[in-house]
Amino acid sequence: MTRRPDLTADVSEILLTEEQIQAKVLELGRRISDDFAGRELTLVSVLKGSLPFMADLMRAISIPVQIDLMEVSSYGGTATESSGLVRILKDLSSSIDGRHVLIVEDIIDTGLTLNYLVRYLRGKNPASLRICTLLDKPARRLVDIAIDYRGFEIPDQFVIGYGLDYGEAYRNLRFVGVLRPEVYTDPG
Amino acid sequence: MDLDADLDVRPAPAFAHASEAELARILDFYAVAWEYEPHTFPLLFDRSGTVLESFSPDFYLPELDLYVELTTLKQRLVRKKNRKLRRLRELYPGVRIKLLYARDFRALLFKYGKLSLADALTGADGQTTPRKAQPLVPTAGMLTDEARLMPTRAGPGPVGRLADDPVRHFDHGHRRARRTRAEARARAAPDLSTAGAPGGPEATA
Repeated sequence: MTRRPDLTADVSEILLTEEQIQAKVLELGRRISDDFAGRELTLVSVLKGSLPFMADLMRAISIPVQIDLMEVSSYGGTATESSGLVRILKDLSSSIDGRHVLIVEDIIDTGLTLNYLVRYLRGKNPASLRICTLLDKPARRLVDIAIDYRGFEIPDQFVIGYGLDYGEAYRNLRFVGVLRPEVYTDPG
Repeated sequence: MDLDADLDVRPAPAFAHASEAELARILDFYAVAWEYEPHTFPLLFDRSGTVLESFSPDFYLPELDLYVELTTLKQRLVRKKNRKLRRLRELYPGVRIKLLYARDFRALLFKYGKLSLADALTGADGQTTPRKAQPLVPTAGMLTDEARLMPTRAGPGPVGRLADDPVRHFDHGHRRARRTRAEARARAAPDLSTAGAPGGPEATA
């Protein structure tokens, strides 16, 4: 991306307002608090996109939780393309052996990354492994994965904001919006 | 835990389309085991039970028990493939299959920052194997209803990840790809309904 991102003009539509997101986060936090009451819960967030969601969700949960962060390489990334295999760029900091784990995702579309993560984390012997995502784009699903906590099901559009990026920009928008197609079809 | 350890490294198959090779690379990257065109599903029979039409999905993902058919044809050209898919779902309701259209594949490449590849891999430009109906000799039909609905194993499709660059292999292997496809079709069933469309993009599944 060579053009300078415009955080206002590049958004064709606001899909989810800040208020809608915060209301949903509170709702998810209440459900998670109820479901995991009395259990040792670790929230595992996948960098970078899920950072805002993780930050808000953990504060909406009313039971004690530990948090951890992971980062995995993405297909097509220049740093890892030569290896041809997904890599854990940042692994867990603490053991999840015997703990209840909730993966916190910003968006699930193909399910390929999440499928890899689930298999990886299952190998670390958690007491249970569940999935929470703010956004679900089922039209793009390749690997079907059971989602335990879903914020919003969204249409098949390229969305940005609230952690979601295009070319590392737009993550700091407080809402989820649709990126104008001209932005990625006309890079000049 | 090494998620790669359970993946065999075998020679790349001769993909019929570069987009298939790219999808195989994506599946490899995320450690999703796959087989290339391992099964053929008979779809249409004559009164004697001879298979008239069949369908061989591009990929089978054994760990997910999911077939994936990738079509990079323009939307208006996928009518026949959609019909075959509907028929397959009627006859084999337990079979899980996902059809990736050209727009889906473009979106996938865009997601991975490879939009520039999309045009090169979409449509006829991505093909090195001419999509041409082969003159086939009808094989003995499967006569019982039960037998008719058993999918046919089309060939020794590889499981696991590519041993070398699939696109490079696919470029060198297009003759083998054509032969393999023809052999697979001959083993499965003659597709007489497409014989009148030589060279047409819909001549094969």
